[in-house]
This record gives sequence, structure tokens and C-alpha cells, in this order.
Amino acid sequence: MGLKGRGAIPAPFSKMRKRIGRFFYRHPGVEGFLFALPYMALWAVFLAWPVVYGIYISLFDWDPLRGSRFVGLANYLELFREPRFWNAVTNTFKFAGMAIPLILGLGLVFALMVWGWGRKRRGIVVVQASLFFPYLLTVSIVAIVWKWLLERDVGLFQHFLSSVLPSAPVFLTEPAWALPAIAIATAWWLAGYRMLVFQAGLEEIPVELFESAEIDGALPYHKLVHLILPLLKPSLLFALVLTTISAFRTFGQVLIMTEGGPGWASEVLALYLYRVGFDYFDIGKAAASGVVLLFLILVITLLGVRILGLKSELQ
Amino acid sequence: MRKVLMVLFILSVGLGLQTLAAKPIKLTFNTLFHEADAKAMEKIIQMFNEEYKGNIEVELIQGRWAQYYAELRLSVLAGTPPQIGICHTNKLVEMADYLTPLNASPVGDLIEMAGVDPANYVDAAWAAGEIEGRHYLIPLDTHGWGLWYNKDIFAEVGLDPENPPRTLAEFIDACERIKAAGYYAFHPAEDALPRKLRRAWYVFFWQMGGQLFDEAYTHATFNNPKGLLALQFLVDIFNDFGWNEPGSNGYNQFAAGKLGMLVAGNWFYGTAVKSGVNWGYAPMPNFFGTPYTWGNSHQLVIPLQPKGTPKEVYLAAMEVIKFISEHSYIWTMYGGHITAYKPAAENPELLASEYWTRSGKWLNEMAQKGLVHYPINHPKGSELEHAIQAQIELAVNGVISPQEALAKAEEECNKILQGG
Repeated sequence: MGLKGRGAIPAPFSKMRKRIGRFFYRHPGVEGFLFALPYMALWAVFLAWPVVYGIYISLFDWDPLRGSRFVGLANYLELFREPRFWNAVTNTFKFAGMAIPLILGLGLVFALMVWGWGRKRRGIVVVQASLFFPYLLTVSIVAIVWKWLLERDVGLFQHFLSSVLPSAPVFLTEPAWALPAIAIATAWWLAGYRMLVFQAGLEEIPVELFESAEIDGALPYHKLVHLILPLLKPSLLFALVLTTISAFRTFGQVLIMTEGGPGWASEVLALYLYRVGFDYFDIGKAAASGVVLLFLILVITLLGVRILGLKSELQ
Repeated sequence: MRKVLMVLFILSVGLGLQTLAAKPIKLTFNTLFHEADAKAMEKIIQMFNEEYKGNIEVELIQGRWAQYYAELRLSVLAGTPPQIGICHTNKLVEMADYLTPLNASPVGDLIEMAGVDPANYVDAAWAAGEIEGRHYLIPLDTHGWGLWYNKDIFAEVGLDPENPPRTLAEFIDACERIKAAGYYAFHPAEDALPRKLRRAWYVFFWQMGGQLFDEAYTHATFNNPKGLLALQFLVDIFNDFGWNEPGSNGYNQFAAGKLGMLVAGNWFYGTAVKSGVNWGYAPMPNFFGTPYTWGNSHQLVIPLQPKGTPKEVYLAAMEVIKFISEHSYIWTMYGGHITAYKPAAENPELLASEYWTRSGKWLNEMAQKGLVHYPINHPKGSELEHAIQAQIELAVNGVISPQEALAKAEEECNKILQGG
């Protein structure tokens, strides 16, 4: 058969291989596409299709048992007339406004702390692991733990705060404090992962730049503002997009910690959507609010990219 | 040779059919139970599976409470519903489209075919399962709120630990004494979640003879002096009376021995026993006229099955439902909910059990006297309840006045009912 040794390929297959090789050489994009194809197929079925179908059912009074009825934009108009919907939109923005800087800020502080301390110091791994640990927990555990911490009667945090400040707020039952409390819990939960992202970015900065800065007499503040932050832009962009999406989609911690209360004080858009869809079973209207949420996330993320001047980084 | 092959073929087909025939009917039973009641249902289903081994096999799925009704609906739409499920009485109007009418199922009158006798069930609970001549529900239980009190605190402040307060005057006296001794006097709403505060307000309002909506559910009827008095009382408990504080968790306070009296459901039994507190249980005191309490009823259902579901599956599901009814004394003993199956309520083991003698009999007494008041029964019930509880919570926390709360809740409810 002409086998010339171990691993030799029979002649017809060898020809085919050459042909395939030539094909991929001439069409360099195809190979990458084929590698991505399995993921893209799953993405299309489990992510893209549900989004498209969600937009489709947002145009219906959806009731598969009795027959769905096309209502055009009526679900959207009904939403826009509802004060509770606008309250949920406002709360979502308020939450995002608090949570995004908190998560990114805390993540950056953690990263700088660990990075500044030096990789070779003893115990750094333990510190790093402790800071990252909350990210490994599920949202329900995080929410339950924080709910206990902030509980009026047995909450540790509430207890210590009350001993220092006799008129300390009861966080989860006061409208002004409910969202900030959830934002703090969320920052504690998510900052660890951002720390890793920023750390990876910090490792990429050439040491020579810091040495030259020091020769020029730069203070730590100058290094942070003029050196670290500009060079961290790609990591910042990635963390910002990720955090924006997760802040706007916040649901579990609100449901468990306050159920959207007191009143509607912490009802965010994702919780409103859930209630309309799964408590009131008004699926068409829930789909419409889902589309609004998707649109908001898209616009805010793109605005963030533009405002921060990160377009080139994206490209 | 041909004959031999033919004989072999017939034998193999026969054997195959026998194997198929011997396979038990597999059913899924999806419940919303968790903790003690989930364990109680597990006991009953284990007994069933042992007794019906080889004929019917039930797979029990439990524990997910929050999304239960959404899941049940979606499973019907997806064509993969469980064969047996649970429905609260007041949820029937919202869920009827997704359930099999038992007396008019695709394979006939299942109630008759299975030999289920309506006379064996508590009348009101059975009657609640019918809409326009179609019967959907087989009653399982009645559950509801009662008064849990700390006997040691009662003794310490000079109250009779065997005679908990029954009237408003006795109740106020008890609260004042407990407060003076440095304890939290009273918590009217379990862990004070928004829906619990709403239920507490319902109790006071119902006791005054209040009705939340007109009979046809065209508008809210609670923004009136009765509604206001009921809400003011609830708000004062946490504020002016000083009997407790807004945002406090009654379960924790009671279990820690810091609370004199707690209004909580029968599901608190396990926690009360484990807490080590020397507790007693009493029916809901008569605060304002008729001593109503908040309650509800779990009922057994067959969710709407896909077309072509064999008759045997329906009948097997009914067999399970019948078995659960007949063994529902176990449900009461371990789950704490009062059985709706009259013969089970007379089970000697149940009547001698610690649960029954310490608390169950009192809840049963309230149920028998018709004092367990069911919640809103409307297709938009969940939406209406959310609208009410949001305002009640704000009033209790002192953010808005009771007047404002009722006015806002009324406005919201009317919008929901009138589609505004």
C-alpha cells in the first residue's frame, strides 16, 4: 500500500489533505468560522432565537391556549403609560449608577492593592483568593447572607452600626437605603472578578514606564492618573461592558433582599419583567419590557464606549 | 423452517408485549412544598410507591415555591406537564385553563370513575374547586395563621400561660404587660415580608366585616373607615404602641425568646419546637368582631395533559390523588396542614399526636367554624395583592400615612380591575 512509516497517510487522503490545506490557505477566514461554528449554532438556538422570538411575542396578546392575538405596539404603549414601569426604569438607572462605580472602583482598588503588594510576597495568594471568593457564590447565597447581615433583630452589620449610631437606618426597610444596600452587596459579590481583569491589565504595563516615571519624580497619584488608568483602558472597557450589563439585568439579589420594596422603592426593571411575566402571566407585556431592557443595555453600553473614548480599543 | 421461524416470531412478540404490559405507569407529581410539608408528602408518596410497586410509580418533584404556577403553566404549554400538581384554592380562577376538569376530562368523569366521594371532603373546600359546573380540584388541606405565645414570658408578667388572650381588651392588657417587662410584645405578621403585612391587615379588616372588593370585582371597597382603622392598628403595633419595631422578623424574635406573641402559620410548628421556647398556641384573638384568620387550601389537580394521553394515565393519577387523601392524616401530623378529608381527620394516630394536641386542633377548630378566610379570588389576584402590599408596607414603615396608603392602593387596584 505504500505506507512509508508510522503516521504516513495513504496517497488519496494525502491529496485530499493538500487540497483542503490549499482551500484554507486561499480562504483564511473559513477556518476560524468553522472553529466557531459549534458555538455559533448553540448561540443562535439558545440566545439569538429567544431574543428574536421575544421581540415577536411582544407584539401579541400572548395566550397559546386560547389563541394569541396580534396587537402591534399596544404592549409597549401600555407599558409607557404605567407609572410602575417608569418607577422600575428609574430604579434600574439609580441602581446602575451606584453599583457600576462601586463594583469597578472596588475591583480596581483590590487589583492595585494586590499588584502593589507584589506577586512574590508571602500570603498574596490567600489575599487574592479571599477577595475573589465572593464571586464564586451564587446570587441567592449572596443575597441571603447580606439580608441576614442587615436584618434588624439579628443582623451583625445592623447591630454594630446601631451601637455606633443609635439612629442608624434599617437598610432594607427604608426606601432611601434599600437600593444602596443592594448595590453594596452586589459590589462585594462581583468586585473579585473585576480585580482579576484589572490585574491582568496591570501585568501588561511595561515596568520601564514606571521606572522612567519615578526618575521624572512622579508621585503615586500621578502614576495612577497618567500611567495606569490610560494603559488600563482595554481592561476597563471589558469590565465596564460586563458590569453595565449585569447591573441593568440585576434581579436575584433584589428579589431575595427586598422583593422590590419597601413599596416599589427597589423594584428594578428585571424584577418588574419577572412579575409581569411569571406572576401575572402577561407574557406579551413582559416580552415588551424585556425588549426595552435590551435596548437600554445596548444604548448605555455604546454610550459608555463612546464617552470613555474607547472606540479604538474596541476595534 | 418457516414454521419454526413463525413460532419464534410469535413467541418474541408475546414476550415483548408481556414486558411492556408489566411496566408500571410512571407519573410525575410536582408540588410547591418545602421543608416540613415536603417531607410529609414524601412519606405519603413513598408509601404509595411501595403499595403500588410494579403498577404505578410516582416521581415526586418538590421545593420550588416561587415560580411554581409559572412553571406549571409553561409545562402545559410545552406539552410536558406533570400528571399531578397542586393548586391553591384562590389560584383556580387564574389556573383553570391549565388544569383538567376532573368531571369532564377527555376520557370521561374521572371523579366518578375513580370512586372519589365528595361527601368525604370538607364541604367548603370541595365547593371551591368548581367553576361553571367544571370541577378541577380535590381538596388536600386547610392551612392558616394562629397565635403562638411564649408561656414563660406570660408567667413572668403575671398572665395565665394556659389562657391566652381572646378579646381585644385582654390582648391589649397582655401586650402592655409584656412590653413593660422589656420584651417585644407582639408581631402580627411572621417575618414581616410585604405579603405577610398585607395578610395581617386583611385579618383586622375581615374581622370588622370588611370586604376588599365588590362582588363582581369592579372596584376596591377597602378605602373606608374600617380599612383605615385596621391599617392604623397594624401601623401602631410597630410604631405608636411600641409593641414591636418596623422591619423586625417575628420568627427570629420568637425563636430567640424575645417575643411574647406571634401571629404565624401552622408551618411555624417545627421551628417553635426546635427553638426550645416554652410555647403555646391559640386561635386568632377576636380583635374586632369576628375572629377571622388568614388561610388558604392546597388542592390536588391533574394539569391539562397533551392530547392522546391514555385513559390509564388519568386513572393512575386519580388513584394517587385518592391515596393521598386517604393518608392525609400523615400530611397533617408532619406537614401541619389540616386535612380536608373527613375520615383522615378522625385518625386516632393523628388525634393522639403532639402536633394535634399542641396546635393542630385549634387550627382545625377555626377551620370547622368557618373562620379561616381565603385571600383574593380573581384572575388578576397576584397583581391586586402586589398593589395593596406595596402601600401597606410603606405605611407600616412610616413612609406614608395609612390614609395615603389606602388611597393609593385603591387607585392602583381600580386601575387593574378596570384595565386603566
